[in-house]
Amino acid sequence: MKIVKLKKTNLFLFLEIISKEADFWAPVKKSPDKHIFEVIEDFSKINLDYTRTILPPKKIMLPSDFNMFQASNTKYTPDFSHVSKKIIFGIHPCDIHALVIMDKFYSHEYNDPYYQKARDNTLILGHSCWPDEYCMCKSTHTHVVKEGYDLFFTDLEDTYVVWIGSSRGDDLIRLKPELFDEDLTDKDIQNFSQRREERDKAFTNDINFEAMPDLMELKYQNLLWDKLGEACLACGSCTNVCPTCNCYNVEDKPILGKNCSNISRCWDSCTLENYSGVAGGENFREKRSDRLKLFYTHKLQSYISKYGKPACVGCGRCVVTCPVDINVYTVSKSLDNEEVDTFWNRLSKEVTK
Amino acid sequence: MKKISVDHLARVEGNGGISATIDGKIVSDVKFSIYEGPRLIEKLTIGRTPEEDVSMSPRICAICSVSHKNAVLRAMENALDVKVSPKSYLLRELMHMGEFIESHSLHTFYLALPDFLGFPNAIAMASKYEFEVKIALEMKHFGNHIMKTINGRYIHGENAVIGGFGKYPAREELLQIKTRAIHFMPFVFKTVNLFCGIDYPDCPDAPTLYACCEPGDNKFGFWGDEILLSTGKTFHRDDYKKLTNEFVVSHSFAKHSLYQDKPYSVGALARIVNLGERLEGEAGKMYKKYYSSKWKSNPFFHNAARSLEILYSFERIPELVDEILKLKEDKSIVDYSAENGKGTGLVEAPRGLLIHHHEITDKLVSQVDIITPTAQNAEDIERYCHVAAQKLLDEGKEDQIRDRMDIIVRAFDPCISCSAHMAEVRNAPKNNWKMQLEEVTQKGDPAFIGVGNPTLSDDGAGIKLARELKNAGIQDVLLESEIEQDEDLWINDSDRPLIFLDAVDFNEDPGKVTLLPLHLILNNTSLSHRLLPTVSGLINYSKMKNTYVLGIQPDSLQKGNQLSAPVEKALNEIREQLTNIREQ
Amino acid sequence: MNKDKLKIGIYELTGCAGCALLITDCEMELIDIFNAADIQSFLMVKSDNIEGELDIALVEGSVTTENEIEELKDIRERAKVVVAFGLCASVGGIQARFGNKEWKENYQKIYGDMEMTHTKPVQSKPIDAYIDVDLYLPGCPVGKEQFLHFFTRVLKGAPPEKYPRPVCVTCKYNENDCLLNKGIPCLGPLTADGCGSICPNHNLPCTGCWGPAEGANPTSEYFLLKEKGFDIEAIKKRMSNYSGTKLAEFFEQFKKESK
Repeated sequence: MKIVKLKKTNLFLFLEIISKEADFWAPVKKSPDKHIFEVIEDFSKINLDYTRTILPPKKIMLPSDFNMFQASNTKYTPDFSHVSKKIIFGIHPCDIHALVIMDKFYSHEYNDPYYQKARDNTLILGHSCWPDEYCMCKSTHTHVVKEGYDLFFTDLEDTYVVWIGSSRGDDLIRLKPELFDEDLTDKDIQNFSQRREERDKAFTNDINFEAMPDLMELKYQNLLWDKLGEACLACGSCTNVCPTCNCYNVEDKPILGKNCSNISRCWDSCTLENYSGVAGGENFREKRSDRLKLFYTHKLQSYISKYGKPACVGCGRCVVTCPVDINVYTVSKSLDNEEVDTFWNRLSKEVTK
Repeated sequence: MKKISVDHLARVEGNGGISATIDGKIVSDVKFSIYEGPRLIEKLTIGRTPEEDVSMSPRICAICSVSHKNAVLRAMENALDVKVSPKSYLLRELMHMGEFIESHSLHTFYLALPDFLGFPNAIAMASKYEFEVKIALEMKHFGNHIMKTINGRYIHGENAVIGGFGKYPAREELLQIKTRAIHFMPFVFKTVNLFCGIDYPDCPDAPTLYACCEPGDNKFGFWGDEILLSTGKTFHRDDYKKLTNEFVVSHSFAKHSLYQDKPYSVGALARIVNLGERLEGEAGKMYKKYYSSKWKSNPFFHNAARSLEILYSFERIPELVDEILKLKEDKSIVDYSAENGKGTGLVEAPRGLLIHHHEITDKLVSQVDIITPTAQNAEDIERYCHVAAQKLLDEGKEDQIRDRMDIIVRAFDPCISCSAHMAEVRNAPKNNWKMQLEEVTQKGDPAFIGVGNPTLSDDGAGIKLARELKNAGIQDVLLESEIEQDEDLWINDSDRPLIFLDAVDFNEDPGKVTLLPLHLILNNTSLSHRLLPTVSGLINYSKMKNTYVLGIQPDSLQKGNQLSAPVEKALNEIREQLTNIREQ
Repeated sequence: MNKDKLKIGIYELTGCAGCALLITDCEMELIDIFNAADIQSFLMVKSDNIEGELDIALVEGSVTTENEIEELKDIRERAKVVVAFGLCASVGGIQARFGNKEWKENYQKIYGDMEMTHTKPVQSKPIDAYIDVDLYLPGCPVGKEQFLHFFTRVLKGAPPEKYPRPVCVTCKYNENDCLLNKGIPCLGPLTADGCGSICPNHNLPCTGCWGPAEGANPTSEYFLLKEKGFDIEAIKKRMSNYSGTKLAEFFEQFKKESK
């Protein structure tokens, strides 16, 4: 792996050169506590001082609603209009890990061309981050990245240490090699190590993910799930903000005045009532608690059993999003017999009063 | 007797009908009925927060939702002493322009134009007038686009809130609106030439009073803090009830309004009649080119007036956008702290003066009064239909009455869902009958006719009163049974007022007295069934304008010849009053 | 008219006429709509209406008079499929939130005892209080995209599968910050999706104008708002503004509990 150095003052210059023929996505500050990934026209709008965006970068690969193909009785026309050359800049390690999980998922057994083509056309330019009280990535071991990026920028005051993670990343550097310095000084290395150490100490959360598969199994019938089900608003927000959730629904959208339909695909959520509904009006998971079990089985159990790591990358989005405190943190802690102060715990006391 | 009716008016927003009853040579009983049921909107928001009220009360009407939004906001902000930023103020005006463009282009091209070009609907019209239909649709779409950009949605947008807006539209969006408005101008001129140039059918000369908002500063505009009448008289917004005495009629869930017992009109024509002189720019030029005094007495010119307002709106948009973009960014919502207050908001909806009055007590809504344009126009709609139908009947064109009434109603662009809201009952036109009687006697010495059925207890009140007046030596008092013999009464002196004395059930305490113009009662009480056979052969329309009913609320209509005590008491009071008047 | 085209009638009962108006707001699609279907009756836009057998009837508005009950039953008899079109038809609209007694009192305050000559008023109810309804399309008013999607599917004989979900789903697609987490009484989780989450998009809390979402959890939302310091009455009022008759049971349950 090659490591180079870039002066911060040269960042925009570099970005301008590489973004000429691609949609350039980066985090933008929308309100005091809201950042989102957006296509950037004006680099000064980029805001790297963020912890997490509302939606993860999965929306850039597969939008929440897009058309897959147009079909009539005789004709089939695929639609890849969501695919274009893209660069995502400023993406954090947890989200890079999530993309790696998505890569595996969408190429496992069947190749999903809609994801694959979008992904192949996208360059990932990661950026270092600093944890807040909701970040759990150290517990999921996703706080550092070894793969899944083309370039990764580590912020060291007035310079970036840039890790080149792929040949496509290297090509980018070669567009303007004079901006980069290949010689890292001892001071640089010392700064880097120091930052890493301090960052490691900044994590306040510690979840025992290794124990989760067993605990999920043992506590499958636990009252905990009833409590969670009682409080769950079934709003689907947790799955929408989760960087590894990938369920979708497919719908025919006939075109007015023509004899053909668009077949579109939109994000689905397992916490919605009809998610497990089937033809004939049956529903396998009518109860909210059953649907939450499904979600957490995916996040905390089955993926670990299969790939040796959880399908949670510790980004903390569910923690800050769920209005009734149902999230990976509180659920894991409760499974691990820790008392947590949550709305769903208080509600359960209120309702049984 | 036969009834001509348009049971379901087509091409109006909402569900209503108009009917006229023809008996021999007279058209009576013209009823503009609202089939929309009662929604009790003004009661729905009582006890809610001002914010919830602002969200809910515009749901009265979809097509005027932005007008309702601006009206309720103006009322609330007056009540709670909120002053919005100049940027919010101008953005609200801009979204109001959007509604005018949307509503007027829908009405003129799609609802009204087929009438004058002889098509059943605009889609059928498209085969011959493809260009007009298509561009008008784009114009309507543009109006909708403005409302959506600023208020969040075509219909019932929620972005405009007390104190300003949830979020301002982006600069680029506003610039795009400005550019598109300019692009539309050639078609807008075409629209004005088309609708001002139509050879509208004649309407019998029936001038009316026009009312609209006074925008102030000698400007044309769609809101203000005063009401301006075509007589030049103005009322402050808080005195709106001096104009709009709403009352309930039995054939409609929409209340009616009269100003000094006379119908009045609101809407595009009212604005052009009252404020047209103030139009500037191209709209001013077009006004000078087309406006004439005949607009004043023919409701079909509402369509011409609408086209001038479309032009006004398109000219105003670029000005508004420029003004808005000159202003600095501000916090889009101004906070408020008031917990009590009452306020009135006046705006011009596309179809006329719209009044919202809201009162807040301890942070919650305690009283709401909403007066919609169609409720105000209802009386004039009936009156114009009445005179037009009577004229066609006189000319022997009975077969045209139905279609003509249909077109007249549509000319007012009645928004029926709007009018079927409802307010607090203020008992039938609340006139002090004594003062009223003095006014009537100033027009001429009245003749009295007692009517009723003395065998049904209080129903005999009219007959008994007439007998007593005769006995008291009062001149020109007749009984129902005598009127046919007295031909002089009908032929001579048509200026002389005629007063029927009768028991009238007008939903009041027994013994309560009222004096009403006959045409009003003919529309809606059982009295009409009694009077019509008697009167219709003898009375002509002009005479009817000067005919009244002095009604006494009965207590009992059982068999028997005794009057109830309260009715007896009322008779004494009336007798005394009449004797006094005659003595003067 | 082409025999292959479905015969469609669009009817307005009592409401603001916004859902019917919404159809005319499909300006660019309007001519296609009229070409694709045989619109037999649509009082707002045409005079030459035919009242006969129908494939589909879209009924807007709530039922508030005896005449409307008759009209509705007649529509049901003539139409193969009846669609409750908009919030008023689906749940009764804002005008349906009074209980029977409350309604009578308020009616009297406004109209007194006057007997209406043209029809008798009844308390506002959704159309399924009187007839069987095949499909529901809520919204105040129905959204344009929502209507076009529905309409084109119905024309193909394949109405959209029922897939109820709350406003929150779209709200997250639109990357809004959750207002509930900021202590703002947003009704998104209780409200049917379809509006495009316009209120939260403008930093304003959802008012609930699409009506109750199936599968929602009012109990949790109720206690959540209570915990955030809102007055119980204020919460109930806010939740009932746009839920017509459909949240009545829920509130009954609370009434019993509070006793």
